[in-house]
Amino acid sequence: MKNKRILAALLAASCLTAAFTACSSESASSTSSTESSVGSEASADASTESSESAGLMSDEEIIKKASGENKVGNWGLGNEYEIQALLSKYGLPTDYITMDFTMDQIDQDTITLASAMTYNELGLIKNSYDGGYGYGDEIGVIDMNDEGVAMLEDMLFCTKAFAEANPNTVKAFTTASMKGWVYACEHPDEAAEIVFKYGSSVSADHQKYMASEVAKLVTTDTKGNSVPAANVGQMDDEAIQQTLDLAKQYIKIDDATAAEKLQTLTLDDIRSKDYLTYDGGAVEKSDVKIQLKWLPQSQFMGYYVALDKGYYKEVGLNVEIVSGGGDVSETVAVNNGTVDFGVTWVSNLINANAGGMELVEVAQVYQRSGLVLCYKKSQFTK
Amino acid sequence: MKSKAIKNVLTTVGLPVLFGVIIFTLWQTKVLHALFGTDEIILPLPTRIGSIISDNFTGMIPQITSTLIVALGGLVLGSILGYLIGVAGAVFKKWGMGGLTIVSAFNAIPLVALAPVINNWTRNLSGVVDIRSTVAKIITVTIFCTASMSVNAYRGLTEVKPFSEDLFASYGSSKLRMFFKLRLPNSLPYVFTALRVSVPSCVIGAVVTEYFAEQVIGVGRQIRENIVKGQFPTAWAYIAVACAMGILMYVIMLIVESIVLKNRRAR
Amino acid sequence: MLNKIKSSKGIVTAVWVLGLIVIWEICAFIVGATQRTPVNVLPHLYQIIGSFFDPKPITGSGDTIATLVFSSAAETLSRALIGFVIGMLLGYALALFMHLSHIVEKIAFPYLMIIQMIPILGMAPIVLSITGDISSARIVIAAILTFYPVSTNTLAGFKSVGRERHELMKSYGANKFQLYVKMLIPSAMSYFFTGLKISAPMAITASILVDTLQGGNGLGCMLSQSLKGSMTRFVFWDIVIFSAVIGVLSFYLMGVIERAISPSKRKIKKLNNGKD
Repeated sequence: MKNKRILAALLAASCLTAAFTACSSESASSTSSTESSVGSEASADASTESSESAGLMSDEEIIKKASGENKVGNWGLGNEYEIQALLSKYGLPTDYITMDFTMDQIDQDTITLASAMTYNELGLIKNSYDGGYGYGDEIGVIDMNDEGVAMLEDMLFCTKAFAEANPNTVKAFTTASMKGWVYACEHPDEAAEIVFKYGSSVSADHQKYMASEVAKLVTTDTKGNSVPAANVGQMDDEAIQQTLDLAKQYIKIDDATAAEKLQTLTLDDIRSKDYLTYDGGAVEKSDVKIQLKWLPQSQFMGYYVALDKGYYKEVGLNVEIVSGGGDVSETVAVNNGTVDFGVTWVSNLINANAGGMELVEVAQVYQRSGLVLCYKKSQFTK
Repeated sequence: MKSKAIKNVLTTVGLPVLFGVIIFTLWQTKVLHALFGTDEIILPLPTRIGSIISDNFTGMIPQITSTLIVALGGLVLGSILGYLIGVAGAVFKKWGMGGLTIVSAFNAIPLVALAPVINNWTRNLSGVVDIRSTVAKIITVTIFCTASMSVNAYRGLTEVKPFSEDLFASYGSSKLRMFFKLRLPNSLPYVFTALRVSVPSCVIGAVVTEYFAEQVIGVGRQIRENIVKGQFPTAWAYIAVACAMGILMYVIMLIVESIVLKNRRAR
Repeated sequence: MLNKIKSSKGIVTAVWVLGLIVIWEICAFIVGATQRTPVNVLPHLYQIIGSFFDPKPITGSGDTIATLVFSSAAETLSRALIGFVIGMLLGYALALFMHLSHIVEKIAFPYLMIIQMIPILGMAPIVLSITGDISSARIVIAAILTFYPVSTNTLAGFKSVGRERHELMKSYGANKFQLYVKMLIPSAMSYFFTGLKISAPMAITASILVDTLQGGNGLGCMLSQSLKGSMTRFVFWDIVIFSAVIGVLSFYLMGVIERAISPSKRKIKKLNNGKD
C-alpha cells in the first residue's frame, strides 16, 4: 500500500517534469545568447588602477573601512595569511568572513573587500563570459606584492624521505614539469585548450584568461622584474624568506609544540635547490602521482602540458594527475604516501612542517603572489 | 535485588571504561599506530591531545559555545517542528502521512549539499555576519533533526492500544480530550527514541554546517581548518571536544528520559 | 472500496508533491526577480530538469550534464553499494556477537556511538593511511557510517523474541545454533530490514560526502566542483535532486527485497536509529 503511494508520487513528478522540460527549451535558448559576449576586454592588470578618479578612497582607507564593517572576505583553510598580514600592517583586527568559492558575496555587497586570485576569481568578477559577473573596470584591486605582504604560492613539493630515496625521479619530474611550464607560458592559449581537454571547466574562455594571468605570475617576480624562461621554477631566497617571516608571524597554532617548531624553521627546512637539474640518471620510481592544490584548471597548466606533450614520457615517467580541492589536502596526501608529489602554497608547507611533517619544496613555480583584494569602486567613494 | 542492580551498573560502566583504558594504553604506547600503519602526525598521542586541550581551554570556550548554540537551537527547533508534523500526520491522517513521507525524503539529501544552499538563502537576512551565519547553521541542523522526530512522534501518537481508544470512545470523550489524555502521553517514549538519534546527530550536524559557514567560529570549523592545514593534534583536540559534547548531551538526555518515563510509569 | 482508498492516497501524495513544486516555483520566481545570481540561490525546477537534458557539452572532454552525472553516479553508487554490503555484514555480525555475549554488548555499544560521532574529516586521513588508496578508503568510510543502524536494529530484533518462545525452543531440545537459525534470525528479519532501510540512503549520502575528500570522479567530486564554480551550478542542482531520488528509491528497494524474502512480514514495533 505504502509502495503504491510512492509510485503515484513518482508518476506525478515525472508528468510534471515532462511538462516543465517542454517549456524549458525556450528559456535555455535565451540564456545561451548572453554567453556569447565573451570578454578578454577586461584584463586584470592590478597596478594600472588610477585611484584619483571619481573621488575614490585610498587603499588604506578602503581596507580600514571594510575591516571596520567586518566585510573583508577570504576562503580560510590556509589561504588567509596574506590578508591577515595586510590587516595587521594597518593595525586592524585579523577577522575575516568566509567566502564560498563564488563571487556572489561581493556581488550582493555582503562582503565589500573580497579575496581573489588574479587568474581566477578576479577574471570571473570582471569578465562577462559564462560564469562571469561582468563588472569590468568597476572593480578595483589591492595587490599583495605592492603592499609588501606577498607570500609565495604554487610550488612543487614532496617528502624529504621520498626525495632522498628517489633523487632521479624527483629531478626528472621537476625538470619535465618546468619544461611544461615554460612551454605553457609561451603558448598560454594552447595550454588552456590542453587543460580544458583534461579537466572539467565552466568555460574554455575562462581557462584562456586564467592561462594568460598564470603566465604573468610565473614570469614576473614580486618586485615586478621579469623572470627568464631558464629560471622558471628557481627559488628566490629573498621572496621565500619573506614568506617564511610572514608565516612565523601570522600562522596561529594552538599546539604549543608545533608553534615552537614553526619559529625554529629555516629556509633549509622547507626547500631544496638540489632537484632543479636532471642529468639523465635512471629513475628509481617510474609510476608517480601528483596532487594539485585545487580543481583541474589552468592554474596547473604546466603539468597538463608536460603530460600532454609527452615530457614526462621522455624522462621515463608515467604520471597521473590527481585533482585537489577536497579536505584531504595535498600536504596530507603527500605525507602519507598516497601521492608522490603535490602542488601547494609555501605557507601551507610551512604550516605542515611545523605540525611535524617532513616536506620539502623542490621548485617554485609562481614567482609572485597572485592574491589580491578586490572591491567595487562604488562602495568606496569619498 | 539491589546488589544485582549495582552489579549491573558496574558492568555497564566498568567494562567500557576498562576497554577504553586498554585502547588508550595501546594508543599511547603506539601499538595502535603500528597496527594501523599510521604515524603520530595523523593520529597524535592522547597526552599531546590532552595537553592542547588544557593549554587552550579558555580559547576553546567561545568555539564550544557557538557550536552548542547551533546544536541545541537546531535540536529544539527540529524536534518541535518534527513533533508538530507528527501531530499533523496523526490528526489529518489522510494528508499528514503524505507530508511525513516527503519530510523523510529530505533525509536523502546530503548535508554537504544542504549547508551551502541554506547559506545562500540566508545571505540577505542581516548585514551582520554573526547573525545570518548563526541562523543559517541553526536552520540546517533543524532540517537535519526533523525527520526522525516526526516519524517517531507520528508512531507514538497513532500506535495506541486499541482497547484504550475504545475505552475513551465509550466514555464519550471528545477527540481533543482523547488527544491530550491518551495520544500525547503515549508518544513520550517515542519522543525519546527519536532523541536518541537526534541528540548525537545535532552535534554532528552543527560540526558539519560550520565547515561551510561564513562566520569563522565553532568546534567544527576548527576541526576542518586544522585538518586541511595538517595540524592534526589540534584537530584531534577539537574532535575530542566534539565527542565529549555529544556524549554529555546524550547522557543528560538519558537522565531526563529515565526521570520523565519513571514518573509516567508511577502514574 | 479498498481501491478507492488507495487511489485517494496516491492523490494525496501527488497533491503534496505538487504543493512543494508550487512553493519552490514561487520562491524561485521571487529569487529570480530579486537576486543577481538566482541560479546559485534557487533556480526554477524546469531549468534544473531542462539542464539535465541539455545536449550542450559542459566539459572539455565533451560530457553533457546527463552523461557526467550518470558516469559519476556509476562510480559513487558502486562504492556506496560495496560499502553498504560490507557495513551490512559487519553490522549483522556485530549484532550477533553482542547478542551472544553480554560482555561484548556492554563493551561495544558505547564505542559504536562514539565512532559515529568522530567527524569523517578526522577519520579519513587515518583510513587513507591504512588502505593507502583513496577509493578503498572511501568504501571503508561508507561502511563505517552505515553499519550502526543495521547492528542496533538487528540487536533489538534479537532481543524482541519473548522468553516463552526461548523456553519453547529449549523444551524441544534445540541447541544454541538451532535456536539462532530456526528462531532468532528469522524473528529479527523485520528489524534487520528496518536497519537496512535507514542505512541504504545513508550509504549514498555518505559516499557523496567522502567523494568530496579528494579529487577524482564521483557525484561528490562533481558536486563540490560545481559549488566551487568550476562547472555550471546546474550540475550541483541536478546531483542534489538525483541523490534525493536515488536515496528514496534505495529505501523502497529494501522494502521490495524484504517482501521478496519474507512474505509473512509481521508488523512489529520498530526501533529507529540512524544519522548522517
